Amino acid sequence: MTDQRTAGGVSTGTPPGGVRRIRVPQRLRNTELWLLLLACLINVGAIVLVQLGALGRIDTQVVLLGAGLSVLVFGLHVAMRFVARDADPLLLPVATLLNGLGIAMIYRIDIADGESGWESASVRQIVWSAIAIVAAIATILALRNHRVLFRYTYLSGLVAIVLLLLPLVPGLGKAEGGAQVWIQFGNVASFQPGEIAKIALAVFFAGYLVRNRDSLSMVGRTVLGMRFPRARDLGPLLVVWALSMAVIVFQRDLGTALLYFGLFLVMLYVATSRLSWVVLGLSLFIGGAIVASQTLDYVGNRFANWLDPFNPERFDQDFGGSYQLVQGLFGLANGGLIGTGWGQGRPDITPVPQSDYIIASLGEELGLAGIFAILALYALFVARGFRIGFAGQDDFGKLLGVGLAFVIALQVFIVVGGVTRVIPLTGLTTPFLAAGGSSLVANWIIVALLLRLSDTVRNHPRLVIDG
Amino acid sequence: MSELTLLVLQLGFLLLLWVFVFAIVYALRSDLFGQRVRKLQPDAAAAAPVAASAFPSAGGSAGVATEAVSHPAAPASGPGGETASTENAARLVITSGQKAGAEFPLGRDEITIGRSSDSAIIIRDDYTSTHHARLMLWNGRWMIQDLDSTNGTFLNGSRVTVPTPIPLGATVKVGATTFELRR
Repeated sequence: MTDQRTAGGVSTGTPPGGVRRIRVPQRLRNTELWLLLLACLINVGAIVLVQLGALGRIDTQVVLLGAGLSVLVFGLHVAMRFVARDADPLLLPVATLLNGLGIAMIYRIDIADGESGWESASVRQIVWSAIAIVAAIATILALRNHRVLFRYTYLSGLVAIVLLLLPLVPGLGKAEGGAQVWIQFGNVASFQPGEIAKIALAVFFAGYLVRNRDSLSMVGRTVLGMRFPRARDLGPLLVVWALSMAVIVFQRDLGTALLYFGLFLVMLYVATSRLSWVVLGLSLFIGGAIVASQTLDYVGNRFANWLDPFNPERFDQDFGGSYQLVQGLFGLANGGLIGTGWGQGRPDITPVPQSDYIIASLGEELGLAGIFAILALYALFVARGFRIGFAGQDDFGKLLGVGLAFVIALQVFIVVGGVTRVIPLTGLTTPFLAAGGSSLVANWIIVALLLRLSDTVRNHPRLVIDG
Repeated sequence: MSELTLLVLQLGFLLLLWVFVFAIVYALRSDLFGQRVRKLQPDAAAAAPVAASAFPSAGGSAGVATEAVSHPAAPASGPGGETASTENAARLVITSGQKAGAEFPLGRDEITIGRSSDSAIIIRDDYTSTHHARLMLWNGRWMIQDLDSTNGTFLNGSRVTVPTPIPLGATVKVGATTFELRR
């Protein structure tokens, strides 16, 4: 009897008014619990193996610190048992495992660099993870219905633009590695507001497209079998394009611009199912990128490094050369099929091995087998996100789910593609893995939003009658 | 720690990583083949239209529903009865058609009816439009609105043209399916 509710959303013989109150066994949550336990076991195993490989002994303090994080994850799990009982059971374990693998790798690089205590990147990463998971718990407790976000469509658009512009405010912004995307809070912490902006943008795009999709998809003239939109409907596309180009020019951040623009294009395509928008958008972006590569030094450098990284001149270049790219490739090659083993490779030779290049570091120590497992985890995560979007009942939820999942997918593609020389290298954080607080907070909030969406999807009763 | 131990530990770790991946894929399998499960009707509802005798396993309600199938005129007896509201209506019962006897819980959300897969009640027959009708709450009362469907929505036999409050136990007809709201 209880199974019928979970299987078909149709209950038979339930007392009036008690439909929602029935205590069904939380099958989904129990699956999640087992997977979470396995994920935490692997995470602790990773840290222990790092210590065995790099130090030759076990330092219980760090293990305990990592275990403390597991407690928070289980806190999120318990919170979901109360407020999101029917949420997807796979997202949380995958995110937990990726986050833990990232922490283990960052810790391993800290050991190589001889850093420890509160100054080290790994401890900061653990603290940020804690903040991020608390943020996710807060999101899932505060946001009981994702439709609330629909009301704040234009507000979130405004928030996104303000967040994007924050790093350009003199005195607040901070440039690092050529890109001006951080804001600094005293000497304590720096934050990358663009990471949060991507969530606000996804909400804005979803709301905007649900409101205007008819005029975007129905009206326009047909050229070469494709329907092209009217000029007035083209407005938002051009605004977003101009915005992302401005990000490239003023903040010198190619990856983020690519991310925002790709997000908008995909959501536009999903909302209108018009290929013409994608063609139009891609040609705009490629045009913009070509112009940028000709006129902006750092963009041109990236292209040159991508095409000809093994040229000794490029390799030895002091700034903007291909040293990092080539070292990353050497690292991956050194890893081979099963890797050198935790703590036994030399990922620390590559510049910034714990953030932009964490995937190369993991590739070196875990090998092809490990990298493929990580990519499979990302694929499963994104597939769940798309699935949630696909199964959704309302258009806003559908678009938001697809948009959020696609953000993760595109980010992984841009980073891993850049490191493995499939596309020109651009600096973006690998979701959940890379060192960086703002990215962790943003991605955990995305997890919370997807969980909330999936709960609504399953909770919404459906009855199918085939005539 | 010898190199061999570390190698074995490394292989064990990779194995565990892949065990996790496959555990997730295994948990997914219900989802991959889950579409059919969702369409499966509850046992009682399936049995109701086939056999005239009520299946007691579904509790009292299915018995009532089967009764309604054999006497379709019976529930229409109260057209002037009290309007279904959040206080007095708890479920929507299919009284005739493929799924006679099936129930649908009434929450506070509107219920869309149509062929499209994003409807709350999906009816796939030749007479139902993509977005056929919807049940919505207006001041706590359940209203039926026809969404300009081709074959119309009927409340107690008369076609619904404007959003109309639904009396408790009145017959609503969409395509070949009829249903009513009950306590």
